[in-house]
Amino acid sequence: MMSTVLPGRTSAASRSDAQPSAASRALLLVLCAAALSGAACGGASTPTRHTLIDSRDNYDPRSLDPALSTDVPTGRAVSLVFDGLARFTASAELVPDLATRWEVSPDGLTYTYHLKSGVHFHDGSLFTASDVRHSFQRALNPATKGGRGWPLYPIRGAKEFAAGTAKSIEGLQVVDDSTVRFTLTEPFAIFPKMLAMPVTAIVPKNTPANFGEHPIGTGPWKFVEWRHDDYVLYARNAQYHDGPPKEDSLMARIIPEMSTAEAEFEGGNVDVLWLPEQATPSWEENDETRALLQSAPSLRLIYAGINTTHGPLRDVRVRQAINYAIDTRMILRRLMGGRGVVAAGVIPPSLAGYDSTRAPYPYDTAKARALLREAGYPNGIDVELWSGQTEQFPRIAQTIQAYLARVGIRVKLVQRDASSMREAARKGNTDIALKDWYADYPDAENFLYPLLHSANKGVGGNVSFYSNPVFDSIVSRARRTEDDTLRTRLYTQADSIAFHDAPMIFLFFYKEVDAVQPWLKGYQVPSIFTGQRWTDVYIARPTKTK
Amino acid sequence: MTRFLARRLLLAIPTLVGVLIVTFLLLYVAPGDPVQEMVGERADSATIARLRKELHLDEPVSMQFVHYAGGILHGDLGTSYITRRPIIQDVLERFPKTLQLAGTAMLIASISGILIGVLSARHPDGLFDRLSLAGAYLGISFPVYWVGLLFILFFSVKWHLLPPSGYGGLRHLILPALALGTRSIAFQARVTRSAMLDVLGSDYVRTARAKGLRERVVVMRHALRNALIPVITVLGLDFGNYLTGSILTETIFSWPGIGRYVVNAISRRDLPAITGSVLFLSVVFVVVNLLTDLAYAKADKRVSLS
Repeated sequence: MMSTVLPGRTSAASRSDAQPSAASRALLLVLCAAALSGAACGGASTPTRHTLIDSRDNYDPRSLDPALSTDVPTGRAVSLVFDGLARFTASAELVPDLATRWEVSPDGLTYTYHLKSGVHFHDGSLFTASDVRHSFQRALNPATKGGRGWPLYPIRGAKEFAAGTAKSIEGLQVVDDSTVRFTLTEPFAIFPKMLAMPVTAIVPKNTPANFGEHPIGTGPWKFVEWRHDDYVLYARNAQYHDGPPKEDSLMARIIPEMSTAEAEFEGGNVDVLWLPEQATPSWEENDETRALLQSAPSLRLIYAGINTTHGPLRDVRVRQAINYAIDTRMILRRLMGGRGVVAAGVIPPSLAGYDSTRAPYPYDTAKARALLREAGYPNGIDVELWSGQTEQFPRIAQTIQAYLARVGIRVKLVQRDASSMREAARKGNTDIALKDWYADYPDAENFLYPLLHSANKGVGGNVSFYSNPVFDSIVSRARRTEDDTLRTRLYTQADSIAFHDAPMIFLFFYKEVDAVQPWLKGYQVPSIFTGQRWTDVYIARPTKTK
Repeated sequence: MTRFLARRLLLAIPTLVGVLIVTFLLLYVAPGDPVQEMVGERADSATIARLRKELHLDEPVSMQFVHYAGGILHGDLGTSYITRRPIIQDVLERFPKTLQLAGTAMLIASISGILIGVLSARHPDGLFDRLSLAGAYLGISFPVYWVGLLFILFFSVKWHLLPPSGYGGLRHLILPALALGTRSIAFQARVTRSAMLDVLGSDYVRTARAKGLRERVVVMRHALRNALIPVITVLGLDFGNYLTGSILTETIFSWPGIGRYVVNAISRRDLPAITGSVLFLSVVFVVVNLLTDLAYAKADKRVSLS
């Protein structure tokens, strides 16, 4: 998941912790009220500028170097300047990008990618198959200190190269200028999705030390200027191989405070605004503002990992009781502005493997009490619930505490900044950790495997320390299965087991909501954070000046 | 004068070493793992172990400190774990912007604060004095993020006079500088008022009036100069507050200054970026204190620097 460093608006665990967002939350309402009562909202006139302005980033990208893309703003920036062999659309579908097509051998071990010819980097150099090798070696090279080589690990020899014990990646073969072949260590049907992630984007051979400040790719937008903590500016790449962008330039503004971003939106200074959950109801109540809202189901799960190795939590009945004891629908409606759907498993409704017939745990306190009694805890248990300090997490945690108290589970709340909490959860020091997961690639595997497979306990993402050999073997088998139908069935089966075992409190799959200026055309809220590349987006100006 | 400067600068060295040690130790005991912040949410333990070794994070704390302090002695603040950029480059890019904001805020605050203070002291308990007292209480009580958001609400959203946020020309500077300066205006006004009242009641002012000097000359030339000493003290102390208080202002107004940089570095556990910028800011504090002392001597001839 990409939300790591300082999770972005669209994602996870935290906004920057010392920011006054909590304290100024009340003022947000004032701003909203002002917006709704005044002519300001939606009343700004169509701008004459030829620059698209995004306001969704709330902290500076880490770098513009694909090898360092571990957070949302960086991933977004990389997806504008660079291309991968494939990419994700706004609706999170995999489509070819620098490759025209690819084939997989019958044994599922060899992938042959046929590359587009005549594509040039922004510096004029020609893109060829050797750039692919260079890019992947660079992403894995210990000297790059990226630390995010895992999407390439399925390639034979990639791990050894990353560890510095091999001089080249054994399974990466440049056949000719327009063909590259990958040999995997074992069949991995979703391998093509790995090659659409920001870290596997293609960079030219000439990457100077300050490449992260002056990136050169083949993507639809050329890098122009980066004012740290202020904005990143891009210009249209007229030679873009897949049809150049419709507008001249694109500016990604970095606005840490949500109320400020709202003010910028109301002034017509930005074209797109990520809407905070608590502001959603007021925007939806008013016809004028509601018309500006666009949404998309997001590949983001909000959940609370239950450590399955801690005391009473080892008992599946206790974990189920916790799920029965919480009115998730109410939390979704009251605290999240109805932004999402209640989860019944870890696979989001938009992905293959989702089972629409499986109902979420109902709110049933009697059942919860009965399960606790059955498990031998008629007097309840004591647990610690950890949460971050940002967004709605503290309030969700408090609400869970109140619900659990009703069935006799005494919850001690622990609030920490994102970094401390992440460390504690990965070390297994949390009983229950309220967090979220934002998919890197659109596949059920990206939820089942990192969150719940025993190979990923701790740092890999499984903070439940869940270990079920049956679940493990089904997920491992799914990863190796080429047949789509069979793999999907295996996903569903694994999800069903996890749902029953309840290694987490299943909360909700998030819904992304952006406010979009009436003059902006062609914008689609992306389901995956790299899905919006702004190529088809334009400003419908009243007088045609272009 | 030169001896004074030399002595003060020498005394600053142990202060800075102390800052360095305390910052380093605080970060060492704080929870959170820099390497996990580097690699992201999904990682493998081999990569984490490798990075930890490369960054010397697997060594005892004393050795880590030696590595770090060694770099500082060579004038190298290090490279950010997260961005891979040299810390000094990041700091030098952002600090002037904070200085610009703080300087403007301070200018606004001292001019209007002193003016209000002087006017209030002219007619104690008069209408203006009462109004400014009420205003000062409000100004001191309102937190900067509240004032900042109110400014954005009225000046930008309602009246479309000024841009709500961002870095740019004078237009972008006004709102954040006003927001940052508000608290200080109020404070300065109160300090100036009481200092002026003291001075205006003193014998030499009575003498000056008895000589038949015009009231403006008495107040501005004779009284204010002596009343300035406590005001300068407050200004000097306030400057530190400006630099740290600017974190909130910078966040509200998306001002790309050093405050936001430090906050981001802290939440990402970017150790070299945190220690580097804290050390840099400590140097600034030392310099500001020195300047404050020099200003005393300038304002009051009785203060001797030797």
